Amino acid sequence: MILRITAAAALALAGLAVSAPASATGKMTCDAPQAKWKSIPALEARLKKQGWQVRKSKVDGGCYEVYGTDPKGNRVEAYFHPVTFEKLLVSRRGEVLFKKK
Amino acid sequence: MSRRALPKYLFWVLLALPAAMLVSGFWNRPEGVYPGDFLHPSGEFSARLIILALVLTPLSQLLPRSRIVRWLLRHRRAIGVAAFGYAVLHLVFYVLDMEGFGNMLAELGAPAIWTGWLAFLCLLVPAFVSNDRAVRTLKGTWKQLQRLAYPAAILTLIHWALIHDGLVPALANFAPLALLQLIRLFRFTRNRTNPQRSTT
Repeated sequence: MILRITAAAALALAGLAVSAPASATGKMTCDAPQAKWKSIPALEARLKKQGWQVRKSKVDGGCYEVYGTDPKGNRVEAYFHPVTFEKLLVSRRGEVLFKKK
Repeated sequence: MSRRALPKYLFWVLLALPAAMLVSGFWNRPEGVYPGDFLHPSGEFSARLIILALVLTPLSQLLPRSRIVRWLLRHRRAIGVAAFGYAVLHLVFYVLDMEGFGNMLAELGAPAIWTGWLAFLCLLVPAFVSNDRAVRTLKGTWKQLQRLAYPAAILTLIHWALIHDGLVPALANFAPLALLQLIRLFRFTRNRTNPQRSTT
């Protein structure tokens, strides 16, 4: 009986996993007031000038998160401050390549 | 669910349907959508099919009368091979997304990546011996080769957890499998130490 309940709980958990919503990742957070943010296209233009190739950009944890290729040719995911555009974190498949001190 | 067994080919079609949708979605992708955007769904299908294939035996021990479990158990080979099929699709999207082997090599050392490759290699073997001829010729070895699905599952879990903040969804997806296998182990050891006790 207990085993059956456990099995049912396991199935319920699986159902929950299927319906779990995506949210902020928490890898990096910025708390600048949104009114002061500069635009994403402005960040992309600046990065391209520095030799980045940008594929996608979005907001994550109040920072700008950019997917693309850095000037060294690494395929990375990078976080930038939405106001200063300061580079905060660069990682490749979970490996941290750069982190602001 | 109908009491009559669903014809085998219909089950295959059912398993291939999400793949067909992914491929057609990829073919008709609008600008700004990359092969990498298809990594998550293809990988997730593969992982869930591995999980499904591996929960069926412990589930059937817990629920010996369940018709659905028995029915799925009859189609377990198809489920396992489909898990491999989705892993292949996942790999194809990865190769297309990385645009060159140099990029793939550069990140091979990342645990999130090499666990994925290893999981794929582990799945490759059981997939290739998933036919009646291999069952006949390999005899006892066949079962052992099929058991590579377990390390494949564990590696897939790690791969998923490490890649793109996937810890919570990966654990949630694999929890039922872990739980059922634990119950199976518990019952197995209990029966061994105390053979008189019933298992119900």
